[in-house]
Amino acid sequence: MKKESKRGKLATALIVIFLFALVMGPGPGSLLINPHGSEPKFWLGVPALYVWAVFWFFVEAGVILIAAQFIWKKEDKNG
Amino acid sequence: MVNLNFFLSRADLGNTPYVVLIIYLIILLALGIFGYIRSKGTEEDYYLAGRGQGLLVTSLTIMATFFSGVALLGFPGMVYENGVSAMFIALNLPVAGAAVYLLGNGIRKLGQARGYVTPGDMIAGYYGGSGVRIVVAILGMLYVLPYIIIQIKAGGGLAQQLFGENMFNLGAAALSAVTLLYVLVGGMRSVAWTDVLQGILLLSGALLAGIAVIISLGGIEPFFSKVADLDAKQLTMHDPKESKWNPWWILTFCLFASLASIVQPAQWMRFYAAKSSKTLRQSAMIFAIILPSCFLFGVMLVGLVGRAVHPPIDPNLELVASNLPEGLNKPSQIAVFMLGDQLPAMLGGLGIILVSVIMVAIMAASMSTADSNLHALGGVLTRDIYDKFINPSATEKQRTMVGRIVIVLATGLALLVVSLGENTEFGKGLLETIMQFFFLAMAFSCQLVPPAIDILYVRKGTRAGAIAGMCTGGAVVLATYLFSEKEATQYLKRIIDLGCLAIIFNVVVFTIVSTITKKVDPSHIERFKRDLS
Repeated sequence: MKKESKRGKLATALIVIFLFALVMGPGPGSLLINPHGSEPKFWLGVPALYVWAVFWFFVEAGVILIAAQFIWKKEDKNG
Repeated sequence: MVNLNFFLSRADLGNTPYVVLIIYLIILLALGIFGYIRSKGTEEDYYLAGRGQGLLVTSLTIMATFFSGVALLGFPGMVYENGVSAMFIALNLPVAGAAVYLLGNGIRKLGQARGYVTPGDMIAGYYGGSGVRIVVAILGMLYVLPYIIIQIKAGGGLAQQLFGENMFNLGAAALSAVTLLYVLVGGMRSVAWTDVLQGILLLSGALLAGIAVIISLGGIEPFFSKVADLDAKQLTMHDPKESKWNPWWILTFCLFASLASIVQPAQWMRFYAAKSSKTLRQSAMIFAIILPSCFLFGVMLVGLVGRAVHPPIDPNLELVASNLPEGLNKPSQIAVFMLGDQLPAMLGGLGIILVSVIMVAIMAASMSTADSNLHALGGVLTRDIYDKFINPSATEKQRTMVGRIVIVLATGLALLVVSLGENTEFGKGLLETIMQFFFLAMAFSCQLVPPAIDILYVRKGTRAGAIAGMCTGGAVVLATYLFSEKEATQYLKRIIDLGCLAIIFNVVVFTIVSTITKKVDPSHIERFKRDLS
């Protein structure tokens, strides 16, 4: 029971992080970097928006890897 | 279509592209025959390969079905046209990857426990009644039919560019015949095995394209110094008043377009066909990591640097052939234009082979989408229409035969439409309308998401609610098509993805109608919960 509630909390945290990644990456969070009409930014010579997209892709992919390893796998075993 | 003649004549690729193409088609036919040898002749085997597909086949067939040739060429074209902001749509792929497990595994469990084959089987199985099945079948066909026709058209166009102007009809017919042959003889097993080859080609083609262009420009630093020359509009987010490549539209696209492609009938059948939960869990991880990587670090970069290396004559005018560099007729050709232009010159024989593989990858992307949708159409029309309304006492053998007849007729009809579109004014108009529906297809299939989530997780909806919700969602999609000229519609479509807009109406109506109509029998719900646990 205790393990199940831990998994529930982890699942909630992962959903929040995943949605946050969507809002920050492709969503309005991208306006923090280079909104319409602003001067293009570069990080280490790379367009900042591209770095931003890649960063949030890694966050999304990381959430799925953690969910698969620590939630879905356990659910499959219990099922 | 891709202007291959232009670079074939310039790059002197010799016979390599044709040799690669012939080898590819021979392997497809061999896989089709191998699938036939392994088949057991039952309906479940024909549509779902005996529900025993392992990780390699499941993950690659899901990815190959997800991406059509239009997407493989369209993504770099979008980046060429709109800059870095268009690259954010790759972030819809991890959402789709999560859905492969979160929706797909429940669908697989119910399918295995109850013998389901189509989306209509599951949704009608839960809510009961034939009305819901018809609505699901119609939404499925509104997705499947435009996809089949447009992929066959793309195949004809590629043949035309490879072998000459008068080869469109013959090329489309030949590629359709190869596809039809392996779908007919081997069913899901052949389709999925050929998808393995096509998926590997698609993914490696997309990734190699980016790597090859970076190498040909002298490495990462020179590559990004070229990108830095782009004008500010290409490197910043767009204004909703001017274009849809703004954060609001991209966010709603990432959330809902991904789900639409995951609940299309062909994918639904792939979930039923998966061997186990573990298969889908691992497929979800592969999908969420590998597919976006191939686009973000691959073919999308080609579109980005393509804009710097081959800019339009006047960036403020529409990007049509007269406003683009010689040989580039539209933005979606940029990947092939760049690769054909640079690789053979920079990498010699290796470059020629790379270009040939990438060209065949474009064809593979079209064929893998066409075959999956043809196969799904056979299943939907047989199980949801013929078996339920025309001949309810049909034997398994009869149903499988009818499925095959549907696939032959659909291929013939698609070829006829494509051929008419090439040769007659009436056909051109018809094909133009189908093209419009191709762009609406995902918004239609998206309407299956609310009932799927209700069955798998919520279980509060009713039959009337599901029907009303799906019909409302479909009607909203149609309304935006019918009133697409209105200024308000155009603005709305720039700030919110069409599928998302329709799904909001769908969910609201589904919820309201479900609160005032007859509930699903609690014991029936309990049985479903048991099958899902």
